[in-house]
Amino acid sequence: MSADLSTTSEAMKSSHIVCSVRNLTVTYQTDAGDFPALHNVNLDIQQNQITAVIGESGSGKSTLALAMLNGIALPGRVTGGTISLSQHGDVLALRGKALRRLRGPVVGTVFQASQNAMNPLRRIGKQILDLGRSHGYKDPRILLREAQLLAKKMSMDPDRVLTAYPHQLSGGMRQRLGIIMALVLHPEILLLDEPTTALDLLTQSAVLQIIQSIHRERQLTTLLITHDMGVVAEVADTVVVLYAGRVMEEGRTAAVLRHPGHPYTRALIKAIPRLTGSLDQARPLEGSPPDLTMIPRQGCVFRQRCRYRMALCDNESPSLKQLEDGHLTACHWEGQSDD
Amino acid sequence: MKGFWIRLVRRLAGGLIMVLAVSSFTFFLVHFMPGNPVQTKLNTLLESGTPPLQAEAQVRSMYGFVPHTPLYVQYFHYIWQILHLNLGQSISYAGVPVLHLLLKAMPWTVIMVLTGLFISFIIGIAAGVVASVNRNSRMGDGLTMLSTFLHGIPQFILALGLAYLFTTVFRVFPFGAPYNAAITPGWSAAFLASLARHAVLPIAAYAISGFGGWALAMRASVSSVLGDDYILAAELRGVTPAIRLRYIARNAILPLFTILTLSVGFMFGGSIFIETIFDYPGLGYMINSALAARDYPLMDGAFLMITLAVIIANIVADLLYTVLDPRIQRI
Amino acid sequence: MAMANSPLPNQPSVSWRPPSFSTIAWKALTRKPGRMVGLGILLFYILMAIFGPMLYPANLPVNPANIYAPPSWAHPLGTDFEGTDVLALILTGSRYVLYSAGLAAFFTVSIGALLGLVSGYFRGWPETVVMRIADFFLTVPGFPLLVVLSTVWDFGNPVSMGLVLGLTGWAPLARAVRSQTLSLRERGFVEAARGLGLSRAEIIWSEIFPNTAPYVAMHFLLAITGSIYLEVGLFFLGVVPFSTNNWGVMLNLAFSQAGAMYSTRALPYLLSPLFCIMSLTFGIVLFLGAVDEMLNPRLRRV
Repeated sequence: MSADLSTTSEAMKSSHIVCSVRNLTVTYQTDAGDFPALHNVNLDIQQNQITAVIGESGSGKSTLALAMLNGIALPGRVTGGTISLSQHGDVLALRGKALRRLRGPVVGTVFQASQNAMNPLRRIGKQILDLGRSHGYKDPRILLREAQLLAKKMSMDPDRVLTAYPHQLSGGMRQRLGIIMALVLHPEILLLDEPTTALDLLTQSAVLQIIQSIHRERQLTTLLITHDMGVVAEVADTVVVLYAGRVMEEGRTAAVLRHPGHPYTRALIKAIPRLTGSLDQARPLEGSPPDLTMIPRQGCVFRQRCRYRMALCDNESPSLKQLEDGHLTACHWEGQSDD
Repeated sequence: MKGFWIRLVRRLAGGLIMVLAVSSFTFFLVHFMPGNPVQTKLNTLLESGTPPLQAEAQVRSMYGFVPHTPLYVQYFHYIWQILHLNLGQSISYAGVPVLHLLLKAMPWTVIMVLTGLFISFIIGIAAGVVASVNRNSRMGDGLTMLSTFLHGIPQFILALGLAYLFTTVFRVFPFGAPYNAAITPGWSAAFLASLARHAVLPIAAYAISGFGGWALAMRASVSSVLGDDYILAAELRGVTPAIRLRYIARNAILPLFTILTLSVGFMFGGSIFIETIFDYPGLGYMINSALAARDYPLMDGAFLMITLAVIIANIVADLLYTVLDPRIQRI
Repeated sequence: MAMANSPLPNQPSVSWRPPSFSTIAWKALTRKPGRMVGLGILLFYILMAIFGPMLYPANLPVNPANIYAPPSWAHPLGTDFEGTDVLALILTGSRYVLYSAGLAAFFTVSIGALLGLVSGYFRGWPETVVMRIADFFLTVPGFPLLVVLSTVWDFGNPVSMGLVLGLTGWAPLARAVRSQTLSLRERGFVEAARGLGLSRAEIIWSEIFPNTAPYVAMHFLLAITGSIYLEVGLFFLGVVPFSTNNWGVMLNLAFSQAGAMYSTRALPYLLSPLFCIMSLTFGIVLFLGAVDEMLNPRLRRV
């Protein structure tokens, strides 16, 4: 959303914005040409809230997560925009040591499939000590004590898991330890990149519960990247729907779920499998997820998969419009949806 | 730690079986040699008037068996002797036990090979890391090309080239022999200096012929580790460059220990060329000169010794790998 | 963009016909100029091996009055210690080197692929036996083994040289093919073939072997270079009786008998075979990248 819109919103004014992304454009340079993975993305992350970014693969959500850490690597490049943190300025301008100090103490990251995000040859406790040394702790063992407390809270045996190698633990344990590795540095923003994707259903819900309770307890600001509308519905306060590197819709989770404004959002909601009701009700979205090389250069990026496609959609890219207070969508269609 | 010992015992048993296999091979080799050297020797002894018992004893001490006993008796006798470290007697050095000659030759080879291996490993690993990290730069490309080139040169060509270049074209180093014969061996500075000067070229030959392989393997390994999620994750957790480099190096070096076993075999195999070209009196030189002198007990002994060195090195590399990689189950 | 959990497969939007093999081969060859150079070198030496010996009489003339002549029009590479033209020695010596290396690679690959396929597919005792023997050959250093074997086996002629190199060199390939076979035999298409009642030989030959073929082909080229080193090395050491002229014999004579090592006059004589061996193997290595790309779909670029 743009800055002038946010001032009109009462709900937004009341809470403090920790991070604001403005006109972020990230381009991937390939032999076949340049392709935008993110295009003019605007996003505000509010204090003490869980903000979710949802999208399919190719939507640019992982690129967004990397950009939050100024970690876009070639062939990708940030070609425009800023990501400003309330107390640290533009993340994208940070270099060297300042950038290193951002990663961890300011923005703590939990990676998808944490087993791959840990050094396989080093005990987890040692890796936590490495974090302490990297971030200037005089006595890095403070972090270890903190990790022990957190592990106990997450119902793990602290001595066992901290002296273990990653391969000796289950997926759920590793994911919890991934969260611990982010939390020990007391980040201002917790960035969760697909934290439940590689887990089975029961472990997923356990991890989600941990995320929620830690979030409340520590009064964190959380950015959750996911492809699962079910996860969003369960934990997020605010949701941003990303498609082909563009924001399609955003708003309070409850509002978006109740009155989705964009056909893509509706399709995502439809795709949530429900425990009750027949499986037929969970409908996958038709067509292929966006391929960077196939994104139309003109007009609405979603139109090829959209059932409400109009002539206008071919030429003009829809801009975000306010549906209700703080709930915006980027779609030309104004009639009733029939699904 | 208990698992480690079980593994060690298992590997030692495997090594012992290999030794038996190689000894059986050398036994049948001598046995099926055209013109049967053992029978020939016995016949010459008998013809020259040696009493039969004495002739047999002499042949047995040379080859470890006597031809006219049943094959299996000969075989077990031979193996039994080898297990007691009795490798027979040399023919060209009349009456000298083979083991004695081998023990004198072995340090030359082992020191040369291990020094060469160590040097090529260190330089190769460093070059591999640099080549991988600077993959798209001219330096990275250049290092990769150089490694591929050196890896492709056969050892004897390399050794010949070095010898020709540095002893004939430019007379920088002395040619042949492990030290200057005019100096009496001992712990004198002059002798050690001579020893070192004579060792430079052979060690360089080992090191250069091994370097390329290490560099290429390390480059591939680093490239694959650089693509691993945990390196990116560590970076995004803000670890210092030094810690990141340590993560990369440790994970990238690990798979190279399996290659180490192969490389040791390759290096010992190359001792024939390098020692022959530089006149270095090690095991490889001994195989070649024993062959020329038809001194089969000595040749077999040297061959057995080289294989034994490779077997031991393989066991060490394997155990090193288990110690270094926690993912290997220590059952 | 590391997301694998998309609910939809990524279907190509236009119908697409795979390019023919010759197109792929041509593209792979021309992508890097070095590959064409490699192919050129390879063809050059093959032609040399076929036609080189036809240009000279069986016994090359000697000229004691003209030993170690420097390069000239009459002797482009100079002469050796007997006054024989070095170029003639190189040309006539190429046939043995290439012929026996080709045979050696053929035997290596045949034995290795066959044993690998059989031990991987049948498992049980054939696997155990084959792999134990393979372990022996993988542990014992190859060159000393050949030296020792030369006492019982005269591998002076190209066929027996090729055979002995094949018999001692098959183990690495057998091991690699076995592990590929182990995974292939559990795949769906092999299960299907079993279900259709194909015989085991048919399954191995027509379902499993084609999938290991790219690796085997690569190994064939590598085995050629490896065999050249080994055979030239054996001749260089003088372990094998000199029945014919070849590059290894040239090196041996230059090193041990002609005293070339002590004289810079003999430089062309020593360097010529070295240069041939090196350039031939580099030609093969350069060409290898193209073969890899031709046979390995993953390396092709869209």
